[in-house]
Amino acid sequence: MSTGMSTVRAGRRWIAADLRARKGQAVLTVLLVAGIVAALIAAVTLLEDGTNPWRSLFAQTNGAHVWLYTKDRPPDEVGAIDGVTSVAGPYRSAPVTVALGGKKEPAGLRALPSQAPQVARPVVTEGRWLDASQLDGAVVERSFATALRLRPGSSFTVIALSGERHTLYVRGIADSADQGFYPEWTPGLAWVLPPMLDRIEPMLGRSEWVTGLRLSDQEAAQIVSQRVVVMLEDQLQRVYTWREVRAAMELDNRLLGTLLALFGVVGMVAAALALANAAGGRVLGQLRDLATLKSMGFTGGQVTLLLLAEHGALALLGIALGAVTGWAGTVAVLGTTSVAPMPVLAIVGGTALVVLAAVGLPAWRGGRTPPIPDVPAAPPRGHLSRLARLALLVRLPPALVLGTRDAFTRRLPAFLTAFGLAVPMMMITIGLGVWSTLDNFLSHPEQVGQHASLYVRPGKLDSAQAARIAARDPGVRAVYPGTDVNALAPGEARSVRVRALGSTTTPYPFPVVEGRMFARPGEALAGQGLLDLLGVRIGDRVRLTVGGSPLIVRIVGRAVEPDLDGEVLSVGLDSLAAKDAVPPEYYALALRPGADPGEVRARLLAASGESLDVQRVVNPADRLSVIRVVIVALIVVLALIGLANLLTASALGLRDHAFDLAVLKAMGLTPRQVMATLVTGTGLLVVVGVAVGAAAGVSMVTGLIDLQGHTSGVGAGIGRTPSALTMTLAVLVAVGASLAVALIPARRAARAQVPVTSR
Amino acid sequence: MSAVLKAVNLVKIYSGGALPVPAVRGVDLEVEEGEFVAVMGPSGSGKSTLVHMLGGLDTRTSGEIWLDGKRVDTLSESAWALLRREKVGFVFQFFNLVANMTVADNVELPALLAGISPKEARERRESLLAALNLGDRADAAPAQLSGGEQQRVALARALANKPSVLLADEPTGNLDSRNTRDVLRLLGEVHKQGQTIVMVTHDARVASLADRLVSLFDGQIVDDGRITRRRTGTAGEVIDLR
Amino acid sequence: MRPHLLALLAKEPAHGYELKQALEQTFGSAYPSPNIGQIYVTLGRLEKDGLVRSVDVEQSNRPNKKVYYLTAKGRDALTAWVEEPTEGPRVRDEFFMKLVLAPLTGIADRMALISRQRRHYLSLMADLNDLLSGTDPRDRVAGLLIEGAMLHLQADLDWLERCQEDLA
Repeated sequence: MSTGMSTVRAGRRWIAADLRARKGQAVLTVLLVAGIVAALIAAVTLLEDGTNPWRSLFAQTNGAHVWLYTKDRPPDEVGAIDGVTSVAGPYRSAPVTVALGGKKEPAGLRALPSQAPQVARPVVTEGRWLDASQLDGAVVERSFATALRLRPGSSFTVIALSGERHTLYVRGIADSADQGFYPEWTPGLAWVLPPMLDRIEPMLGRSEWVTGLRLSDQEAAQIVSQRVVVMLEDQLQRVYTWREVRAAMELDNRLLGTLLALFGVVGMVAAALALANAAGGRVLGQLRDLATLKSMGFTGGQVTLLLLAEHGALALLGIALGAVTGWAGTVAVLGTTSVAPMPVLAIVGGTALVVLAAVGLPAWRGGRTPPIPDVPAAPPRGHLSRLARLALLVRLPPALVLGTRDAFTRRLPAFLTAFGLAVPMMMITIGLGVWSTLDNFLSHPEQVGQHASLYVRPGKLDSAQAARIAARDPGVRAVYPGTDVNALAPGEARSVRVRALGSTTTPYPFPVVEGRMFARPGEALAGQGLLDLLGVRIGDRVRLTVGGSPLIVRIVGRAVEPDLDGEVLSVGLDSLAAKDAVPPEYYALALRPGADPGEVRARLLAASGESLDVQRVVNPADRLSVIRVVIVALIVVLALIGLANLLTASALGLRDHAFDLAVLKAMGLTPRQVMATLVTGTGLLVVVGVAVGAAAGVSMVTGLIDLQGHTSGVGAGIGRTPSALTMTLAVLVAVGASLAVALIPARRAARAQVPVTSR
Repeated sequence: MSAVLKAVNLVKIYSGGALPVPAVRGVDLEVEEGEFVAVMGPSGSGKSTLVHMLGGLDTRTSGEIWLDGKRVDTLSESAWALLRREKVGFVFQFFNLVANMTVADNVELPALLAGISPKEARERRESLLAALNLGDRADAAPAQLSGGEQQRVALARALANKPSVLLADEPTGNLDSRNTRDVLRLLGEVHKQGQTIVMVTHDARVASLADRLVSLFDGQIVDDGRITRRRTGTAGEVIDLR
Repeated sequence: MRPHLLALLAKEPAHGYELKQALEQTFGSAYPSPNIGQIYVTLGRLEKDGLVRSVDVEQSNRPNKKVYYLTAKGRDALTAWVEEPTEGPRVRDEFFMKLVLAPLTGIADRMALISRQRRHYLSLMADLNDLLSGTDPRDRVAGLLIEGAMLHLQADLDWLERCQEDLA
């Protein structure tokens, strides 16, 4: 018979009784937390799946972490490098051009056996895998097939380097994590049987060997790729790791990560707030019972534990329910069973911690209740507050004066009311800020580095011709020649992107948020990611290697850089060596205001006889429509939380108030005046809470988004506060809704018959 | 006979406000086993503070408290709580039943706390409630009971663990005379069975149940003596029917 | 005691011992019953005033007993008693005189006086409590009489407390 066991038994009895007595509230708490967690998980998983398909593809295909391309068949020692568990290939691969309906796309044909390999196994989603009975069959990687509009059964022509043409038939379409998606990653990928590849490209010298290494630890990819570089030296054409593949697939993921993390924080704070308010209100309402428990022999610590267990259990139940619902919902929508484990774990763990901390405070407060149950609460100070005196001075009706007095005399309910509204309001403001940041992306793409809306590659034409055609179009305002090259940073095994665009005399309008624009050759702008990667600051000199020749530039400014983790160096074309810069690889077209990119693209294609390759820039905000849904959902949840908080607080205030109300009525206030008194009291607090919340939100939103931007490499400078009109509307709606809610208990209290004598 | 409860030069000074307020100023008190002590005095004389200190609900400023031969004034708040489970029963003016729990749960809770098995706790509760004529109200919520019934339940709860001492703070202060009579009868019976009781009260009828009266005035004991019974009195000694 | 006996005789004629029994039955043990001599003395006076008459009733092998009955004058006197307003109890408080005067003489201090008195009152109260618990709850007259005494005692105790607060 231990005291611990007996306390547990007695405590369980009390918790069960308390929960039974407030079933509705308990269920609401669980549902609220569950809703928040489910929404977060669904949002994260949906976005994650849409923007970071690499993870699930890699898992499905049992992918390789490091890929290396060699001139000859690589030695077997490659597979013996420390940390390599298995090897895909080596496969022979030949560069070809796919000709289809007048278009020509670069492709790598890879020879795989009819028995699909265990490592880096393409997963056939439509049709079938290669089979020896059909030698001219090919399996095409899905993004490449989509770009070419290929279906199982359709045929296409490949042109070998020799110019020889072969017709292949699509047997199947497969997912692969071997490389990024076409056309972001070129060449496209297709698989044929080895005998077919031998027929298409008999010359060994014109093909290369592709080998994938699967590692025991994905973090070792960097080291392994360095070992490969050292081991193979000249043999090696190129090497890349899963990080590059993932980065190529996720594209705007940095920005999404920024916003997602923000949502996570908002959601968790919302959950914590809901819990803290529910638990806090509950504890305040049962202080007498807690005192009684202590007089019966519960220690303060045990009372705290009891409350923590009760409210914490509700929270954890909500989290569990939310996790299951979120997971089930996502599976139902996406049809996959793969839910990104890290974000989900982070959400579940984070919410649990935050929520328990939120419950901890009221629990601790409850534990500190003095054990003498009958100590009456200190009567509120009855003197008129300064605000009330002001109200008297301007001759407001008595109900308003009394209400003004009420608003601040009871400090705790006053604080609960104002705070309970301020936090959701702050969160809503942040949500609106994210919304307007998205809007800003759409309406001012140049501020996030998307001044140009079309990119033109010469294709079959020569570069000068392409520039002429582009410049002739009436919708085009400016044409910036550009070239992207990869450069090796000192001490880094992987390369960074150098984007040469425009010239130092007519520079491309990069969104410079720190420092200044480059003004002469040898000056450069960097993204936040690059600054962090190289550990340099604005004003520093960096030395990179581009195709063997050094590129030495001074970084004079920082640009907002949503691409490639911000690890991009932007220079004028004249800063590159001529061999890299001439002719330009592409032209970035800035359009006149009002010109439709789609129409301009069509005109350009027509003018060039379909020879130009014209691509529209995808605005990251276009892919973020999911986020808008999430914002709306979050705002609704937050509004509900705020109103629930208000109801809790005003119910608590009314309970303290019942006696005063009877006195007021006895003094001759009509029910209407009593109601006006109550609504005035609550209304003032509502206005204070909403105003403080909105102000805090506005002051935090740009800072938060920029902080997120900084850590994700995009860099500060993308955050936007909601417009004044939006904020005014939001504040008015919040105050109006709050007052409407405050009216409910006020009406009931004003009508209730309260005996003056009983206490 | 040994003293169940003993206070030596007990002092309580509230120092929360601007000036320290002495509530109890050097009280010496010994309560023998089976004794029923009534504590009376004008409001503000420190009688509630005294019983709260004796039960560990409030801390003493100086002095000693001994319970069952052990010094307890030096105990921490938690240690006091554990001690109360088995040795001290409390009855308050406002009954203080746990509002959410049924009558049965309220009475079983202290027994469970004292480490008694749920089965035995239930049996004890059943016999206690039956003795208090509340057997049929076991599943009722406290709010469904009258004040007198609530106080009887509170008494049952306080007695559930056969405490060394029952401390009562104005147990009838909130009851009408009918309910007062019920509670009085109970207290008398409990006392007859040997329960040690220390009770603060304003009500002379309640106080007259005790066999000893302690009068407090201004935080000090001004009188401490037996309440003798002659068992020959009639109403004629108070009211002369002419 | 005169009107009490008149009231009992208004119900039915009775002899002295029957009247004593009727009084005891009405108040039970809550009130000290008068002795028989007192009753006969009162009856004699009532007869002399012409409010009651008596007749001798013969009894076998016993002395005759006197049965009293109400006269018309007696009935008038009874009616007048019932109808006249009743003065409230006039408290003759000897203790208060002690409390005020004794300290002047230096014989006793007030606090001690008050404490002793309080315990005396509580002893009375305890007796009344015992009396009440020994009284048949259906006997409302006795019960109410005891409760009335208790309430008066409570008032005395409250007054005592006021004296203590203001004089001591």
